[in-house]
Amino acid sequence: MKPRCAAIFGYNEYSKQIVKQITSTFDNVGVFVIDEVEFLEAKNDGINAGRFDLSDDWQSIEAQFDVEGLVVFCALADDAENVFLTISLRATFEKLFIIALAQDNESMMKMKSAGADKVMPILQIAANVIHDILSKPIMTQVLHDVLYEDSPLNIMEVEVGDTSPFNGLYLHDLHFKRDFDLILLAIVDQEMGTTFSFASKGHNHHIDAGDILVFMGYTDKLNLIKQWNDGVSI
Amino acid sequence: MMGLIFLSVYILIRSVKHEIPHGWLLFNNYAISLIFLVEYLLRFWLHSNSSKTIIEQYESDIFLHRPFSFAGAMKTIFLQKMEYVFSPTALIDLLAIMPFFHEFRLLRIFILFRVLKLFRYAKSLQRLMSILASKKFEIFTLILFTLIMIMVSSVLIYVMEANNPESRINTLFDAVYWSVVTIFTVGYGDFVPVTHGGRIVAMMIIVSGIAVISFSTSIVVSAFTEKLDEIKEEKVIDRVNALKRMYLVCGFSPLAHEVIRKLHKHHVPIVVLEKDIKKVQEARSNGLLALHYDSASLHTYSHLKFDFEHQIEAVILLHESDVSNIYTALTIRELTKTIPLYSVLQHPINRKKLFLAGINHIVNTYELVGMMSKIIARQPVAFEVIHALRSEETSTVIDEIILDAQMKDRFYALLEDPLFHQRFSVLGIYSTQAKQFHFNPHPDKSIESGDVAIVLANRGLIDEFRSKLHRRGKL
Repeated sequence: MKPRCAAIFGYNEYSKQIVKQITSTFDNVGVFVIDEVEFLEAKNDGINAGRFDLSDDWQSIEAQFDVEGLVVFCALADDAENVFLTISLRATFEKLFIIALAQDNESMMKMKSAGADKVMPILQIAANVIHDILSKPIMTQVLHDVLYEDSPLNIMEVEVGDTSPFNGLYLHDLHFKRDFDLILLAIVDQEMGTTFSFASKGHNHHIDAGDILVFMGYTDKLNLIKQWNDGVSI
Repeated sequence: MMGLIFLSVYILIRSVKHEIPHGWLLFNNYAISLIFLVEYLLRFWLHSNSSKTIIEQYESDIFLHRPFSFAGAMKTIFLQKMEYVFSPTALIDLLAIMPFFHEFRLLRIFILFRVLKLFRYAKSLQRLMSILASKKFEIFTLILFTLIMIMVSSVLIYVMEANNPESRINTLFDAVYWSVVTIFTVGYGDFVPVTHGGRIVAMMIIVSGIAVISFSTSIVVSAFTEKLDEIKEEKVIDRVNALKRMYLVCGFSPLAHEVIRKLHKHHVPIVVLEKDIKKVQEARSNGLLALHYDSASLHTYSHLKFDFEHQIEAVILLHESDVSNIYTALTIRELTKTIPLYSVLQHPINRKKLFLAGINHIVNTYELVGMMSKIIARQPVAFEVIHALRSEETSTVIDEIILDAQMKDRFYALLEDPLFHQRFSVLGIYSTQAKQFHFNPHPDKSIESGDVAIVLANRGLIDEFRSKLHRRGKL
């Protein structure tokens, strides 16, 4: 089930940017803060804000959102509090999709151990970008446009279902570039756990139901392959 | 130059007991001396700027409504040149040229003055002299003390021993020789005091000798200890100045540490400027070339003598405050307008200020996190894939290959090669002229010089593709 709502914990520069970027893609976005000053600031900015503490009382969240379709951003300024928040949420909501911000790699490992599904290590993200701008400026610009700007090119992940035409085929039997004008970046094999292998490694991978294919291409072509994967005849 | 000096000394030593070929002597007496003469004249010429002196004299006279005094200008120039001629280094240079007049056989000994020229060329010797110069007073006191001791003991031993027929110390020269040999604790034993008085003098001078040796040792050791940090810093500066290309990182923050760790993979040296000594020590303990300097000060760059245009690839501003990054950017922009400046943005409100300070590329981590959140919430697997490719944590990477117009056929033919087919993906070609990205290019797509192919493959395979692309001849 694709998440329809988002809850962001903390109201700082990072959360402000998260709110700004995700508001258009979710039906309901709410911000939860501990601090009274942050609460007033968020209210002042016209944000749907609520209060929370680090106890196990999540009634206000359950009242506002359907937890099944909720994605949570743990973006508190302090890494220790953020880890505690993550572990508290995971203890209460087993299936909640949690994204946590970590200042560095050390905190990232703790967030993962605390149960975060995805962690964004801020220091490493910034370092990667600076490194890429210096060493591969054109690639960085192209990827930036594809990922974040309003570009005709996009990336898309497609989960292979039981009825998908891809199910049971071998990777070398498919010619995504020629037939779909798409480039397959990677495959996540459910049999191999959460690790992914890159299409360019040359393995003749057997595609099974549950595998996730990550494509890059024009949006219309991406939509087309998604429909085809979903069993819509084209 | 140092080689010529050693050759001269070798010829001098060999000439003592061996016949030297005429050509060698000719080379030593004329060629080497001529080179040193040219060097001397060039240094003489460059010591002061004569035309500048004349212009200054002219401007000064015009300003004061006086007729231009050419004689006054010439006098100033003469005094400046004499200042060089009588400087110790210039005197050594002049004496080193003396063997030029080889007809005066005695003057050949002046070849040894060439050895003193080593001080001019060997930086470590200059450093040694500057360290000792910092202890001028102590060394002067020690020499004075030693001279007084030698004088007093020489006179005393002469008085005690000279009239004794059993003593070998008969002249004042013998007495001075004995005193010098004894005070420096050598004690050959060729001259020994035989009288009681003489032996008492000997005991006194032996004790003084130990004081002289220990005092002189302590002076040298303390001079080196005091200058140790300075010496280390100078050695780092020497290493930095010898670099042909480098990245200059201003500020050693945790982000700087991470950026440097990643940049190290590209084997381009990185130099860190940091004014906090603790951070400098931390950087050095991580094996980095870190200098304890304020990156926002013009004095830093005049002292370090960076060649911004040719030596530095880019300056990366990674201080933990926008104020420091802006101040450093403005300092560097005073020195060069062309060098690319990269900076991290600490507070979004300061973005415009960073641009105004002349920073070319600003990395806004808040905006990045925001944009990534959108992708990660909707397509977490795709995000992981892109993150892994960009962070180069796997053997598969996205890379750039610069193309030229002649490569077109070879480029597309290589893609069909069994080695690359199915294992090497060209995401697209970026046209630098049209500033356009052509996704999944068809083999008909023309290639212009300077176009860049964005490829996805195993790192080793990309290197192989690059090498085959640049190789001449048939595939």
